[in-house]
Amino acid sequence: MPRSGSTPKITRRTALAGLSASAALLAMPRLGRAADETIRIGFPTPLTGPFAAEARDQVKCAELAVKLVNDKGGIAGRKVELLVRDDKLNAGEAATRTLELIEKDKVHAVVGALSSAVQLAVNEVTRARGVIYVSISQSDTINEAKDFSKYTFHEALNPHMTTSAVARQTLKKGMKVAHLVADYAYGHEMLRGFKRAQAAIGADNVGEILHPFGAADYSTFMPRLMSMRPDVLCISNFGRDQANAIKQAVDFGVKQQMKIVVPVILHNQRLAVGPDVFEGVVGGANYYWGLETQSKSASSFNTAFKAANGGAIPTDYGAYGYSGVGSLLAAMQAAGGTDTDKVVDALEKLQYDLTKGPQHYRKCDHQSVQSVLVLESKKKSAMAGENDLFAILANDAGSDDMLRSCSELGHAT
Amino acid sequence: MTGPSSGEAVAKPASSGLAWLLDHRVLLSIAVLAVLPWLLPSKALAVNVLIYGVVVMGYNLLFGYTGLLSFGQAAFFGSGAYFTGIAIGRYGVPWFAAVPIAVLLSTCLAAAIGIVSTRTRGIYFSMVTLALAQLVYYVALQAASFTGGENGLRGFTVDRINLFGLQVNFLDPINKYYVLMAFAALAMWFQSRILNSPFGAVIEAVRENEQRARACGYDVERSKLVVFMLSGAISSLGGCMLALHLSIVPLDILHYQTSGMIVMMVLLGGARSFFGPFVGAASFLILEDVISLWTPHWQIFVGAIFVLFVLFLPKGIWGTLLDALDSGKARR
Repeated sequence: MPRSGSTPKITRRTALAGLSASAALLAMPRLGRAADETIRIGFPTPLTGPFAAEARDQVKCAELAVKLVNDKGGIAGRKVELLVRDDKLNAGEAATRTLELIEKDKVHAVVGALSSAVQLAVNEVTRARGVIYVSISQSDTINEAKDFSKYTFHEALNPHMTTSAVARQTLKKGMKVAHLVADYAYGHEMLRGFKRAQAAIGADNVGEILHPFGAADYSTFMPRLMSMRPDVLCISNFGRDQANAIKQAVDFGVKQQMKIVVPVILHNQRLAVGPDVFEGVVGGANYYWGLETQSKSASSFNTAFKAANGGAIPTDYGAYGYSGVGSLLAAMQAAGGTDTDKVVDALEKLQYDLTKGPQHYRKCDHQSVQSVLVLESKKKSAMAGENDLFAILANDAGSDDMLRSCSELGHAT
Repeated sequence: MTGPSSGEAVAKPASSGLAWLLDHRVLLSIAVLAVLPWLLPSKALAVNVLIYGVVVMGYNLLFGYTGLLSFGQAAFFGSGAYFTGIAIGRYGVPWFAAVPIAVLLSTCLAAAIGIVSTRTRGIYFSMVTLALAQLVYYVALQAASFTGGENGLRGFTVDRINLFGLQVNFLDPINKYYVLMAFAALAMWFQSRILNSPFGAVIEAVRENEQRARACGYDVERSKLVVFMLSGAISSLGGCMLALHLSIVPLDILHYQTSGMIVMMVLLGGARSFFGPFVGAASFLILEDVISLWTPHWQIFVGAIFVLFVLFLPKGIWGTLLDALDSGKARR
């Protein structure tokens, strides 16, 4: 083999220098990109199952919150991306999806879930890994010291504050109250809230019946409830169960005998069965689009949502998606990025007004202190349009007094 | 009948490479599992394949090899998970002790359910196991102070483990996978030992012809009970792995839908084959994971694929593949 002396000899030293130079060159765009890397928010929600309608609204509103921030140039120059995952209303599935979001997609925070058990599962995964989680589903348990962590935030109302607001509007001293309750955590917590409010008001409990989650047939419960002769029937269930239970109660003529009260009156369920069935039913809510006559932020939220969704109006559970993601992004804005400790700090200090008036996260349990609406379903003749569903009976401004005290929840005060 | 046959479990003349590989099925399976996290879209999914693989493998012992169609395997999967969680969270037992304790207690549960259910046959066996598993579900639902009830069991996160003086961050997905893979490997070795033992031949004899097995002098009832307990023990190990992996135990784990999913996985992968359960678990979970990313109607697709499999590939993916390899060799 001929060897030519002119071939430049590559020494180990030059090779090393060249390699490290090219490695550095390759790394350059990465370093440059790190600053404007997208901010990823994980969003597990039950796109399949009985709460799918509410879940889809949550996704739409969460996407709107992200879009509004991106339109203004993102956070510290970084775009925000929402990663929606179907948790199938199953705690194990939700935990797996959250692990994937954290480990594979490297999300900076998680928002979402629509069931008590599911949010507690997500919270267990995120808090062990030091990832911020903003829960947007009702729960009392997540406020308690046992499940709390500095990374846990609860944007939704909790059963305690909802039921006490509803009870204040509907119950009077000496009234007889019966309960139909979905037999799972949500129903149990609502029942506990109602009973506590009842005791404070001086109303009497005449009986409670538990029904299985997702029941289709309530006909066996109705005669039993009617025989208790209550003045008020509280139906504590969620999603399709609410529409089914109220519909069958009306068929049995329950409304002629007593008033029907629900802890949370659902926009989508009222739409699903029509005004005659829901007429006169009273329930609590975190949001109703008709608030726009009273609140400027409601009006601008409605306008933005309509513009993004072809004129549709936002719903109650949808609004949680908006304010949950919105408050988190506002805190990231204030913290100037995604550094977890700084964002937690910013969330604790944050005063925000995204959909209905001032809100803030209470320091000890990170529960969002916010107003509670009490709505009454309108009768058909009183409706001004097809979206004019409810009359606002009360709009209780948010205050710490609505919540259970920090020491009752087991937090060090 | 030339004796109990079981897909690749049959010892072939060790002339071809394939036969050699099949004789070392445990090592081969471990090798495949070792690269799994790098092949799947996410590490969490790989861990789930591992967990459900072990659960379904335990069930395969009962359904595939002994021919007992139980609809209550979720009881052992769930009890393994719950006992692990309760031992760690409530009694402060270290994780390496919690796992054998949970398996032991679950085996006792399997003995109790087995004593009642193995007295029945056919559809009655399926129904009794289903009913007893539902009983376990309701106990877990009602004993909320122990199990967390509806909200599930929480508060037992294992974040660091100590391996022979070496601190390992258990929250790291790769570390977690390989630690749990050690459990899966143990379960596979155990299952392989059972199948290669005379007892393994007996249970297949029971499946092929219960009358004849009895006539040959085997104690059919006791064999069924023992295999029920072994199957429960292996499936409960999967439950322990789930508890360590998710650091929660959802109540749904005990639901009859979980039992149904286990049956689906074993049919998809191939009953009566050693590695089939892992193939079944992997294909089911990947289908679910990937399809649900682009459509909320994923159930339609998974259901359709399952129906097609039952109609056209009754031996499942792995069983059909092994058959194809076998017949290819015969033609040569």
